[in-house]
Amino acid sequence: MSLKKREHITTKGLDDYFLGIYNAFKFVRLFFREVFKPPFEFKEIIRQCYEIGYKSLPLITLTGFVTGIVFTKQSRPSLVEFGAASWLPGLIAIAVVRALAPLVTALISAGKIGSNIGAELGSMRVSEQIDAMEVSAINPFKFLVVTRVTATTLMIPVLMMYFAFVGLLGSFLNVNQNEHTSFIAFFQSAFSPISFLDVFTGLFKSIMYGFTIGMVGCYKGYNASRGTEGVGKAANMSVVISMFLIFIEEIVIVQISNWIRIA
Amino acid sequence: MATKNKHAIRVGLFIFIGLIFFTVGVLAIGNINKTFTKTFLIKTVFDDVSGLQPGNNIWLSGVKIGTVKEINFNENTQVEVIMKIEKKSQQYIRKNAKAKISSEGLIGNKIIVISGGTPDSAPVENGDALPIEKTYSTEKMMNTLQENNINMLTITDNLKIMSEKMIEGQGTIGKLLNDETLYKNLEHTVATLTRAAENTQELTASVSNFTKKLNEKGGFANDLVTDTIIFNNIRQSVAQLKEVISTADEFANNLKDASVDINNNTNSPLGILLHDEKSAASLKLSIQNLESSTEKLDETMEALQHNFLLKGYFKKKDKNDDTE
Repeated sequence: MSLKKREHITTKGLDDYFLGIYNAFKFVRLFFREVFKPPFEFKEIIRQCYEIGYKSLPLITLTGFVTGIVFTKQSRPSLVEFGAASWLPGLIAIAVVRALAPLVTALISAGKIGSNIGAELGSMRVSEQIDAMEVSAINPFKFLVVTRVTATTLMIPVLMMYFAFVGLLGSFLNVNQNEHTSFIAFFQSAFSPISFLDVFTGLFKSIMYGFTIGMVGCYKGYNASRGTEGVGKAANMSVVISMFLIFIEEIVIVQISNWIRIA
Repeated sequence: MATKNKHAIRVGLFIFIGLIFFTVGVLAIGNINKTFTKTFLIKTVFDDVSGLQPGNNIWLSGVKIGTVKEINFNENTQVEVIMKIEKKSQQYIRKNAKAKISSEGLIGNKIIVISGGTPDSAPVENGDALPIEKTYSTEKMMNTLQENNINMLTITDNLKIMSEKMIEGQGTIGKLLNDETLYKNLEHTVATLTRAAENTQELTASVSNFTKKLNEKGGFANDLVTDTIIFNNIRQSVAQLKEVISTADEFANNLKDASVDINNNTNSPLGILLHDEKSAASLKLSIQNLESSTEKLDETMEALQHNFLLKGYFKKKDKNDDTE
């Protein structure tokens, strides 16, 4: 009994959990050490940006457009009830810029990019390609992790802005069908309630989400356990954990931004 | 390895706790101001709170100063609302301020509005009960409006009947509208009235002219009205007149006294004259005698004129009279 007590600080499960947190912390620390240290893998970063950003465009376009249309459609009845249908563009713009665009983009990216990174790195780990890189004097962390995390951190904000634009286009389509509002009138009305803080918070959130998605995917893939099962688990866990973290970050950032907004 | 692991686990635990503290801290930060704001409680009793809920805002002159803390029924089935008010607003809420249920905009949340209160009244204290201000609910307003609608309907119905009758030529106005003779009479009347008005105008012009003259300086009326000297003179004259009247009055009294005296005192010469018949008869005789004596004297004088002794004098006198 006494021996067992000495082995674990709390219980075995919790100890493993805290150990996981420590390892993740170490992983993040390592990333920050490596990211500012030359040589910089620009070519690989650009390739990853292409993979992560450009190849996500069709998915983001579809989801953004649908979100814009659906959100407008669903919001209209309650506004029409007060005779405030003209507030729709402003309402949609606030909702999209402040919340929907960063969050939906991040969630979709977590599903697509996070799982992709997790599975890719996991299979590299399982097939011992990472070990081979280490042997051949290439820093696998720098080449695999830093490039991917940098790419997601850069690309998710871009995708977010694109999502917001497409979402507003979808919203315009619906508003135009119902209220025959012109394109200029719609966007003037949509941007009038948007402040710099809204855009800045949205961008900041996207940067955080991008970093989270890249980091979680890389960590889970990089530390995948041996075997093909590990690859699936790494892909799955990277999606689950990054989504979970995105929501936690969302609530914290919204709280801080509201605090700044009032102050 | 085990010690390194333990160290790692401790760091992990530390990071975990740190993250939790950070998250909870950030979430609490939004309400941190409210948590540390000093408040006090006041209450008010309404018959109907129209859906007010704990947490609804309390406004003083349009400024949010607190929230509704509790809503309870009291023994009279009235609703007691306990309000949590910021301490810094306490000095502005007077004991005679009134509370009423209102709403944020037309369709917004229910709020309590505190208004009124005079500076001579003391500020409220913890646990004070504010009187309520009577408000009109939408339902009551609608009921009144409905009554108005019914009245309007009756009025418009009546108007409709009236207009129909008028068109058909019934009633005075209807006849007025439709009857040609009446119209002509009216026209005639109007013409007469116009003439009368013209005459009146002339009359008023004359009157105006007259009054203008009255107002002219130097005129009698104007002087009478404006000249103080004349007025003083008149006043003096009146005083003198009054004096004269009083003198006359005195004189009349004296006269009266005298006459009374004459009437009563039969021994006085006048009394004898008036009342004694003997004396009267002798007086009459005396007068008769006097009359005959004067006649005789006249005759004697006539005879004297013809007397030679005095003839010369009379001739001279006639001559002088002629020359004059």
